[in-house]
Amino acid sequence: MRPGFAPPPEDLGAVASVLHEPTAPTIPLHKLAPEAALRRLELTVVRRLEGFLHGDHQGLLPGPGTEANDARIYVPGQDDVRKIDWAVTARTMTPHVRDTIADRELEIWALLDVTPSMNWGTEGVTKRDLGIAAIATIGFLSQKMGDRFGGLIMRPDEIRRYPAQSGRTALYGLLRRMLTEPIVSDHTTGPYSLAAGIQRMARTERRRGMRLVVSDFLTPGDFELDPNVEPEWERPMRQLAVRNQVLAIEVVDSHEVQFADVGDLLIRDPETDFERYVNTSDEAARERMDAATAAQRERIRIALRRAGAAHIQLRTDRDWVHDIARFVLAYRRTASMLHQPPAGVSK
Amino acid sequence: MTWPPSFLDPERLWVLLVVPVLIAGYVYLVLRKKKTGMRFTNTAILSRVVPRQSQWRRHLAVGLSLAALVALSLAWARPNGIEMVPRERATVVMVIDTSQSMAATDVAPTRLDAAKQAALTFVKALPEQYNVAVVSLSGNPALILPPTTDRAQAQQAINSLRLADSTAVGESIYVALSALQLAPKGTDSTPAPGAIVLLSDGQNTAGRSPTQAAAAAKKAGVPVYTIAYGTENGYVDLDGERNRVPPDKALLTNIAQSSGGSAFSAENLDQLNKVYNNIRSEVGQTPTKKETTALWAGYGLAFAVVAALAAVSLGARWP
Repeated sequence: MRPGFAPPPEDLGAVASVLHEPTAPTIPLHKLAPEAALRRLELTVVRRLEGFLHGDHQGLLPGPGTEANDARIYVPGQDDVRKIDWAVTARTMTPHVRDTIADRELEIWALLDVTPSMNWGTEGVTKRDLGIAAIATIGFLSQKMGDRFGGLIMRPDEIRRYPAQSGRTALYGLLRRMLTEPIVSDHTTGPYSLAAGIQRMARTERRRGMRLVVSDFLTPGDFELDPNVEPEWERPMRQLAVRNQVLAIEVVDSHEVQFADVGDLLIRDPETDFERYVNTSDEAARERMDAATAAQRERIRIALRRAGAAHIQLRTDRDWVHDIARFVLAYRRTASMLHQPPAGVSK
Repeated sequence: MTWPPSFLDPERLWVLLVVPVLIAGYVYLVLRKKKTGMRFTNTAILSRVVPRQSQWRRHLAVGLSLAALVALSLAWARPNGIEMVPRERATVVMVIDTSQSMAATDVAPTRLDAAKQAALTFVKALPEQYNVAVVSLSGNPALILPPTTDRAQAQQAINSLRLADSTAVGESIYVALSALQLAPKGTDSTPAPGAIVLLSDGQNTAGRSPTQAAAAAKKAGVPVYTIAYGTENGYVDLDGERNRVPPDKALLTNIAQSSGGSAFSAENLDQLNKVYNNIRSEVGQTPTKKETTALWAGYGLAFAVVAALAAVSLGARWP
């Protein structure tokens, strides 16, 4: 892609992130997700939940609900006589009641990676803001009665936790906080990598539910392409998926997948101390780079699949609502297979 | 070549002040470019895939351009260098007697004028490439003209000879031998080939013995050709007293023979070409001050060409 001859516009938008770290979000709050259009879509929840409130999703333990469970012996004074299962009572000659599984509310936690590599984007939005938009879209999809939505913002130096609350007002509040979260400046160091962030989320949010991990899944300095080698975040991801239904939202930019031809220039990394002059006009080098990136993405896909997480890839140059909607429609059929818990763990 | 060279237009060297300014500008641009590089996220893969691009060609191109600029600035200031110019070493030393006895008029118009005339004729006939030195023979022999091929200077030096007291024939041969040392230097330390033409009326009155001097000349391989002037009854009037000054032809013949030369008389001067016919020609080198602008401009050109090649190799996409 060659630049045209017209002078660049005053406000470059997200593309300015190529030159320096962005200073403000590249997308306003009201454009994150078309709330009304998403009402008719439903995110399939296949894992059983635990909670205190009555919700729309199947719980883990017996309780008042619509789903029939086992029959058990009637305990006088404790069970409602209206619950007696007459068919079982007749066959066994002992009064039995039919238990139901409680319907519980869903608790969703979203982990948003805001490390400096996410402050990058060439097509309208930065990867960070695309991630927030994805969280918004999933959030509006899951706005069933009583469902709660919480957020963790993973900066390199700290993790900000915004408690899970129910209702669209609370969701808007969370999204606004994520958007207005100060941009992490380049080369900020700290204890948190993606692996540490996932570990932290698995440890602190104990209630079963759905977990969103929004990141580019790039580990600084990791140039491994072999899918048989685990990336460092795979193990925490697998641990997270033992009790939760995990959705990994991978955000990529089109120019990460297709290396741009922008001549001979200095390329810096926002996180590592990489600084090198690269002749991006070298076609052979670009082809090698694209092939390596494809292999890297394939490795990420395989690692996520191995960890038992659902995988959505969103690109900054595509409509994320469309991509998520398509994912949700396919997900209805595949979710129960995808989120099989490991042996010995209840569903 | 000496360093630093002298310059004909040293004020033009001020243009060299541009060089540090350019260097500072380059460094500034390099640092600024470091700040304005492109951010890119997936550099771990990039560093694996894209070979490290060496920076030395870029710096080399800039460095050589600056070197070319320096060399051309120096050339513009017109530097002087010392250059070795090939010159003929062979030298004929004319030793002309200027003692009072040479004022005798037994040879028309006087002995001295006749000797001068003969010397001028000889110098004129001498092939161009030979050096001529002139030594005056008196009680205090002196080198009038160091070896040179400039005939006009030689003639002027001969014409300027004036009478002086006393006669030191031997001493004058030593002076002539030392004059030969001044001939253009050769590649080795061998003495320059030469000959001494001694125009005199003999009669050594002062200084070292002529026989000894003739032996020294023989040892140095320098033949002495003598020309005797005067007749037996020649005289000069000095301080109102008439002195007989017969020429000492025997002495002169003796000098000539013992040094390997030959003796002439004023009558058979036409044989004098024997003098220079017997001198072998040898080329020496003389350091000469010369403008070396072309040399510096050549350096500048070479630097510029290499810089251009480096720049081309940076930017070109080879097929």
